[in-house]
Amino acid sequence: MAEEPVLRTDELNKTYWSGPEKTVALDGINLEIRKGELLAVYGPSGSGKTTLLFLLGGFDKPTSGRILLDGIEISNMDEYRLSRIRRSNVGFVFQNYNLVEDLSVQENVSLTMMFEGKTEKEMKERTAELLDKVGLVGKERHRPSQLSAGEQQRVAIARALANRPRLVLMDEPTGNLDQDNSRAIMQLVTNIIRADGVTFIIATHNLEIVQETPSRLFLKAGQIATDLISHS
Amino acid sequence: MVKAVAGISFATPVTLALMTLDSDEALAAGVVPAQLHSLLNYSMITGVMITSNQTGILALGKTLSATIGKGAGDPVQLNGVIYSVSGVYLTNSWMDYSVIIPHVVAQQMIGMVNGTSMIVATAQDSRNVDNVIGQIRTLMPTFEAFRSSETPSKVSPIFASLESIASDITAIVTLGAVLGIMNSNLNNLRERMRAFAIFKATGATYNQIIKLVLYESLLLGTLGTLIGLGISYAVLQFISIPIVQNVSVAIILVPSTFLYAALLAFSVSFLASIYPALKIARVRPQEVFRFG
Repeated sequence: MAEEPVLRTDELNKTYWSGPEKTVALDGINLEIRKGELLAVYGPSGSGKTTLLFLLGGFDKPTSGRILLDGIEISNMDEYRLSRIRRSNVGFVFQNYNLVEDLSVQENVSLTMMFEGKTEKEMKERTAELLDKVGLVGKERHRPSQLSAGEQQRVAIARALANRPRLVLMDEPTGNLDQDNSRAIMQLVTNIIRADGVTFIIATHNLEIVQETPSRLFLKAGQIATDLISHS
Repeated sequence: MVKAVAGISFATPVTLALMTLDSDEALAAGVVPAQLHSLLNYSMITGVMITSNQTGILALGKTLSATIGKGAGDPVQLNGVIYSVSGVYLTNSWMDYSVIIPHVVAQQMIGMVNGTSMIVATAQDSRNVDNVIGQIRTLMPTFEAFRSSETPSKVSPIFASLESIASDITAIVTLGAVLGIMNSNLNNLRERMRAFAIFKATGATYNQIIKLVLYESLLLGTLGTLIGLGISYAVLQFISIPIVQNVSVAIILVPSTFLYAALLAFSVSFLASIYPALKIARVRPQEVFRFG
């Protein structure tokens, strides 16, 4: 029997209204992603990539359609339950990393665990484990401004993994990185998928990443322009 | 008549009047000497308290004694008549700025031979004071009845004005502080909007954000309160209020003053952070990240 998909969307639509003006950001998106899969979402600017990630991450609600995360519908959840989804079930890595400047690397990684109510000991142990995984041992007390762009992205990945989510969403993870750092980040993602079976969805402009990704989705004007191609 | 009121254990007449002491003005209290111990907690610094209705004898409060430079055994002029100072007393209250003479003498001096300006009464049960005051007001509607703590403002128009001004200033300053701190909190939180958006994006709930803001505000409020109380204490040591010519009353600070001030400061800091906390907790991370 086939394993339950980590994420599934049915006829997902998102429309924005600005007065009488209607903008269709997403139109009839159907997706199904399984455990340990890496999906690249690509397309031109304004094609709906970030909107899709924000919907899948529980930041926003669709105008119509369904999002099922581990078989549970999140598209009609209230704000409180969506906060818990963002904290425990989904990790998010933002284009500009979105680290809190006033907090150290260790504190940034611990944030989601703090909101989850983990103890100091649990947070410290998990943070040490994650910083080791992303190659930032020894930089626990550094502030984000003391790190390179690549290192900041690694902190953001560590934070996204803190509460052991089954799904991690990355919005333009290599958008601010050079080629070497981009490859290093993608290698890190690949290692995490192999080691922990985490599912990744990456929205990107980087064609090199798209070509090396087994599954990809091309978005154009809010619609899937090419079917999901699986190389597995 | 006052003694007949149920719940009163002690009552004695007191006549208060502004008089000229040497060349200065002073508040004179005419009391029944035999009832002084029940009326007033005092200790003698030098000499003795007046003990009879004898004319020509008076006792000076410690601060007034220091102000006019007279002590036990010295002659002083009260409304132009020579008196002898029997002793100097200490009460640690506004009475230290006054002079005590026999009640009958005070009655003659102000031309109120069979009357008195005031009757001081003690309630058997301190929790029953308001009830006793109510009974007196019913029984003697032309009399004014009030608590002893209100005496300074009732007998001195300066105190009454100062109390009124102080209350008005407190209300204005409190309102100003609430609005000012609220505005400052809002600006401060707006500058940190991105950090709060990150908190929400990483799973903080609406309530957790509100708690964070309130804790931070109360922490700053506590720090500000402690510094403010310290500065106030230091400054108030050098401030005194003139009650009559050449006589000023120093502000006596008691622990309850600091307690009320601290409670007011905490309340201001809490009130001023509620609206900003509710506002920042509604932040939508996706909008902050996309549009700044």
